[in-house]
Amino acid sequence: MKTKRQIQKEATRKIILNAAYQMYANEGFSATTNQIAKAANVSHGTIFVHFPTVDNLIICLLERFGSEINEHLHLLSEKDESLETFLAAHINVLICYEDFYKRLISEINSLPQEAKYVFINIQSVVSFHLNQVIEREKEKMAIKEIPMHIIFNSWLGLIHYYLTNNYLFTAGSVLTDHKDELILNYIKLIRK
Amino acid sequence: MKTCIACGMPMKKESDFAMGDTSKEYCVYCAKADGSMHSFEEKKQSLINFTIKTQGLDEAVAEKAVENMMRQLPAWKECF
Ligand SMILES: [Zn+2]
Repeated sequence: MKTKRQIQKEATRKIILNAAYQMYANEGFSATTNQIAKAANVSHGTIFVHFPTVDNLIICLLERFGSEINEHLHLLSEKDESLETFLAAHINVLICYEDFYKRLISEINSLPQEAKYVFINIQSVVSFHLNQVIEREKEKMAIKEIPMHIIFNSWLGLIHYYLTNNYLFTAGSVLTDHKDELILNYIKLIRK
Repeated sequence: MKTCIACGMPMKKESDFAMGDTSKEYCVYCAKADGSMHSFEEKKQSLINFTIKTQGLDEAVAEKAVENMMRQLPAWKECF
């Protein structure tokens, strides 16, 4: 049984993580702990009771984000899932986190080294599922002779380009507005 | 939902579990043919190879990323 104190502590931790998520999504990773504390309605010192450093806060947040994506994708993926369905599932998951994800891919190079590793592992979950779908398609001889990492990086490159240049394509959510077009044409590129 | 102690994959269907046995704590990808769990070195190498194959990473970077992930998993706590 958790004590009342532990429950309280976990609740505060969650409130801080939620506030940090929202702050980073809106302002980017240069948002300060002062801003986060204000948004979470806690004192500045409280943040450091839960997260010893800003880097630690960012890493914990990315890890939580990664496990949410992991669970989401796993629940959506089925044994006989088609390439179309998987790509749509990936985009749908990203739509739920679009503003945060956009900040993350734009600023990843300036985040701490450990955050970069967490980011790689977030992408590994996606590449794991895509690889399974592609292997099945390859058995049916339906995919061109392209190495798996080029298939994966081309997909990621495509959606990351649209995300980081959102303003070129729409005033709203670029993933929502261009989802069907991106999926359809990406598949045309790699399918025989 | 359970997650695999050796790679972190969520396990929901029977087929996600080692030997299809839902009482197991590790997944089908972390089990050897005889049903036992991969060793630390086996798992580490296979994850590195997988990351290189599917994402095209430099080997040293892949190794760091894999170590970083494995460090968080219950199965490998003693290995770091
Ligand atoms: Zn596993």
